Amino acid sequence: MKPLRDIALLFKRSFIQALRNPTWLVVGLSTPLLYLALYTPLLQKLAGGPGFPTSHVLDVFLPGMLAFLAFGNGSSEGYQTIFDLRDGLVERFRVTPASRYALLLSPILSDIAWLLIFIAILVAVAVPFGFNAHITGLLVSFVLLALLVIITASFSVSIALINKDISGFSAIITGINLPILLLSGVLLPLTLAPTWMRVIAYFNPLYYVVEADRVLATGDIVNSTVGLAFLVMVLLTVMTLWWATRVYRKAVA
Amino acid sequence: MSIISTKMLTKVFSGKIRAVDNLNLEIKAGEIFGFLGPNGAGKTTTLRMLATLLPIDSGEAMVAGIDVRRQPSRVRQHAGYVGQLGGADRLATGREDLVLQGQLYGMSSSEVKKRTEELIDVLDLRDFADRKGSTYSGGQRRRLEVALGIMHRPEVLFLDEPTTGLDPQNRANLWVQIRKLRDSGTTIFMTTHYLEEADTLSDRLAIMDHGKIVAEGTSRELKQQIAGDSVIFSFKNDGLAIEKALQLFQQQSYVREANVEDEQVRLYVKEGAVALPELLRLLDKENIAVKTMALSEPTLDDVFLRKTGRSLRDTGPNSKENGEPK
Repeated sequence: MKPLRDIALLFKRSFIQALRNPTWLVVGLSTPLLYLALYTPLLQKLAGGPGFPTSHVLDVFLPGMLAFLAFGNGSSEGYQTIFDLRDGLVERFRVTPASRYALLLSPILSDIAWLLIFIAILVAVAVPFGFNAHITGLLVSFVLLALLVIITASFSVSIALINKDISGFSAIITGINLPILLLSGVLLPLTLAPTWMRVIAYFNPLYYVVEADRVLATGDIVNSTVGLAFLVMVLLTVMTLWWATRVYRKAVA
Repeated sequence: MSIISTKMLTKVFSGKIRAVDNLNLEIKAGEIFGFLGPNGAGKTTTLRMLATLLPIDSGEAMVAGIDVRRQPSRVRQHAGYVGQLGGADRLATGREDLVLQGQLYGMSSSEVKKRTEELIDVLDLRDFADRKGSTYSGGQRRRLEVALGIMHRPEVLFLDEPTTGLDPQNRANLWVQIRKLRDSGTTIFMTTHYLEEADTLSDRLAIMDHGKIVAEGTSRELKQQIAGDSVIFSFKNDGLAIEKALQLFQQQSYVREANVEDEQVRLYVKEGAVALPELLRLLDKENIAVKTMALSEPTLDDVFLRKTGRSLRDTGPNSKENGEPK
């Protein structure tokens, strides 16, 4: 199977590349760790109150952080695309007979692999501080987050391919990311939000993921919130992948 | 036998800019074919279409006997391409990069190993093959990129401005490598905007401007079209002298053409060595004082000037005349 072989080859390249870029690893991991260390203490007094039903705020906060991590990693994938465009790597790979799908998907799959590693580290760090880990819930949650990475990364790569320029790309991505994050309840659950904010949140795909993540973290898997999140993610995955493939075929002129 | 041929090859950008305009080309197996022209002439666009990177809008193109429009994936197996940006990976070592390239072309692991060693020798990569690409100098990077382009032993190699940004020593070095490749049977189709490179490196060449070929042949054939030598004069007390000298020259039967360019008078004569003393005698008689003079055999720039009315040197490295995308 040529496409599978190509995916394996290019996956290996992207995965190792991340290791050789330690800044990326350190920053990628330290951001959520800093949130856990320096933000959760602010929430301690809210435990048991509105938005924080359990005695451990980490049970609410960590699942949100995981979605935040997946979202952030996926949407920054386009930076690598811009570097690869600038160095002629995109062109170089395109003139080889390598499968076009492999060229697009491999870096995204590598992102997902790194996400799994990051999640494992975060959970391992959070458990001693009282996070109640339900393994099955976390695994289902990982699948959901993997879909989120595919969506955000293929969107980000497409924007990079269309823009080709780092300043234009980063302006668009930062501009889109902030409202999506604020309206998803990653930091504080939107049950605390006024009605108008919750109404807007219904149009935000990330909101569904964050909500489902919190439900899954309690160990509850067969649940309408989870089902709805999967429905939204699968639909968006199909749509963004279709779009990204089209952009990839055309835009590298 | 033609290994690359195009018929009425055309690429239109934004619905109106004819970047490549009904191009007909025949490139013979085993030659270095140079594609000379200012930036924006359509050279890169042509190369990218032939290398399957850009869709062809109309016309036909055959590479190594394969129809580029119908079977792009087969063309990829038979052709190599080194773009202006190169494509060496900064985060990988040269050896890793070569291995990955071979694997992507579906070569077996023993073949990949053998070919990698071979290319490390041929392109003289030994000293830095195990260092990361980010540490390479411009010349080292280029050599690795050429090696990547020929990893799968293509019959045809496309090189887009291969020596741009290299210092003279590295440029000369790369020319030697390119000739070696040609001698081992690879057909090379390269673009350049350096006159000297097109002149000395190509077996045959085409001069392109505004999407069309304005001249084609060996460098010698093209220069013979100019038929003669060029003489350039500049004068003390410029303005008046130039006018007077120009008129004087134009009256002489052996002067084929005379014109003013940058405060200098440039004329074409059949035989410079015979005409020069005669020209000096004329100027002396009219009391026109000469500041400098130069006699030269025609260059490819003269060919370009004759065909387009502009000098290649004037078009500058960064002028993008028809918006050809990078």
